[in-house]
Amino acid sequence: MSLLETLMTALRGLSGNKLRAALTTLGIIIGVTSVITVLALGNGARAAVEENFRFLGSDNIRITSRNKLDNDELVPAGETLSYEDGLLLTAEVPLIFRVAMSVGGSARVRHERAVLDMGVSGVTAEALDLLAIQGSVQPVDWSGNGLLFGSHLLAKGRFFTPLEVLAGADICVLGHKTATDLFGGDDPLDQSIWVNRSRCTVVGVLTELETTDPSMRLRSRPNEALYLPISTAIGNLFDGEPSVTLTAQVSDEGRMEEAKTQVVDFLRARHEVEQKLDGSYEDDFDLMTRRDVLGAQQESARTFSLLLAAMAVVSLIVGGIGVMNVMLVTVTERTREIGVRLAVGATRSDIVAQFLLEAVVISAIGGLLGIGLGILAIPTAASLNDGIALLAPGSIPIAFAVAVLTGIVFGIYPAIRASRLDPIEALRHD
Amino acid sequence: MSTPVIETRALARTFVIGSGVTGSGHEVHALRGVDMKIAAGESVALMGASGSGKSTLMHLLGCLDTPSAVEYLLEGREVADLSPPERASVRNARIGFVFQDFNLLPQLSALENVALPLLYRRGSSAVRQKALAALGQVGLADRARHRPSQLSGGERQRVAIARALVGDPAIVLADEPTGNLDSVTGAEILGLLTELHRAGRTLVVVTHDPEVAAHTSRTLLMRDGRLISESTN
Repeated sequence: MSLLETLMTALRGLSGNKLRAALTTLGIIIGVTSVITVLALGNGARAAVEENFRFLGSDNIRITSRNKLDNDELVPAGETLSYEDGLLLTAEVPLIFRVAMSVGGSARVRHERAVLDMGVSGVTAEALDLLAIQGSVQPVDWSGNGLLFGSHLLAKGRFFTPLEVLAGADICVLGHKTATDLFGGDDPLDQSIWVNRSRCTVVGVLTELETTDPSMRLRSRPNEALYLPISTAIGNLFDGEPSVTLTAQVSDEGRMEEAKTQVVDFLRARHEVEQKLDGSYEDDFDLMTRRDVLGAQQESARTFSLLLAAMAVVSLIVGGIGVMNVMLVTVTERTREIGVRLAVGATRSDIVAQFLLEAVVISAIGGLLGIGLGILAIPTAASLNDGIALLAPGSIPIAFAVAVLTGIVFGIYPAIRASRLDPIEALRHD
Repeated sequence: MSTPVIETRALARTFVIGSGVTGSGHEVHALRGVDMKIAAGESVALMGASGSGKSTLMHLLGCLDTPSAVEYLLEGREVADLSPPERASVRNARIGFVFQDFNLLPQLSALENVALPLLYRRGSSAVRQKALAALGQVGLADRARHRPSQLSGGERQRVAIARALVGDPAIVLADEPTGNLDSVTGAEILGLLTELHRAGRTLVVVTHDPEVAAHTSRTLLMRDGRLISESTN
């Protein structure tokens, strides 16, 4: 019998009892859903590793103010990190040789009749280089060859000097779209614009940028930007002291842990964090290195994956036993049919093929539904796992193969049993 | 004289019943040495009371069962020498079965039931046309799409006969073909079988109904696993 004929026969056999076939697939569906999700978590963790590789250099310590929940509102846990903290960190912590700082705020930006309400960043002189090294954005039509430096991101003019940052100079650098929005076709260089109630002179314009990750392009707007020296921004955009994000660069990459201890000691002293009776501290800041981020994310992804993998195995076994059970019932119900087929010349292998294919079709249908469900379940898995789960393209064929394999493994016994029936007995069966 | 279609010598079949824990089941001799010859184009009735061994003989002749002590030549070939797949192919190509209770597959249409033997045949072509032609031969061309449940008993047996014919077999084996039919319909089916025989097919009918046997050219009577008499009708 040809494969196509056998498949048609199998489908016909199944259509005789659709509800039963549907219920049987349930275990397979759950199993395959788990397989898809496990692989998505693994893939998400890997993507996160790559993302963080860009996000944080291996010799960087990211220092942020710690927040706490107070009446469902996020409020600073203590003193926030200040501009001065950053300056002193460079000066007084031996292993730290440079600290990049940034604050984010919003302002009304005006030039002649053009008015924009937009996000504004206060940054230090190395901000452009950091942006280039992070690699999350690149110039449109960037060939991708060679290292990207801060200078590649500038279309016109220049970025701030360290001295200008310290002095709080009234200068700014514009993103590509912001420059067009404010100046139309005119040259913005050396023109002055209003940021809230102070004037500043445009000293540079960035080239047109796009995010390197194509999936981010709809959400992020890298060309709507206005950079001020951080000291200027603090005076201009905020009433009090804003919370500053510090990226401290360690002079010796081999002594990261030591550098962390130095930073913690320095900040505890400066913020007057008191030691509690049990010897612990209630810090008002958080330190993060690349290793910390990756370690935590990978750890949680691994635990979760393990759990799901166990669930996948259990539900596939349960599903497989379900398939076997239904096939055994089917074979008993259709004993006479098997007798007829044997009498008109079916070989044992024809019968094996017919019932095996039925089992495989059941599990393959379960597999397809499971793949669909798995793809839908990925966002849920992501939300339970700090937002890292990404559909792995290879997981779809793998999951389908697992489903089919389950059908074969659990379908072979009923199929062989069917083929071993004595045709005479089978023909007499009622 | 040409080679007989069926030739058996001392054909025997023994069943072991109750071979359980003790391993000492007792033997039932269903067939105790049957010698017979059936020539091509003959029509033969196998008669006997139930338990006489006529069904067992038919199963052996149809290659559904394996004899305990052999000699069975089908068209001059020793059946015992055949491997299981070869035996399946003999059933498929050389033998057509007609059963008492039709044995049609309920989920298939009449046409698909008829086509079944061709589907199990290697390299068969024009399956649909051949199946339609066979249905035409039994006068049911207009019922091709009906399921067995939509057909009368007589129509079902006609479909079964078409299925037995479609593969162009050497022998048609019919086991009580009229047993489940009323007398009028039974007569129709007998008429159809007689017609087939006249068209040149070898026909073996198992029955305990003398009227059925009367339609054949020779009657073999069985008792206790042996052929006890033979008569020409």
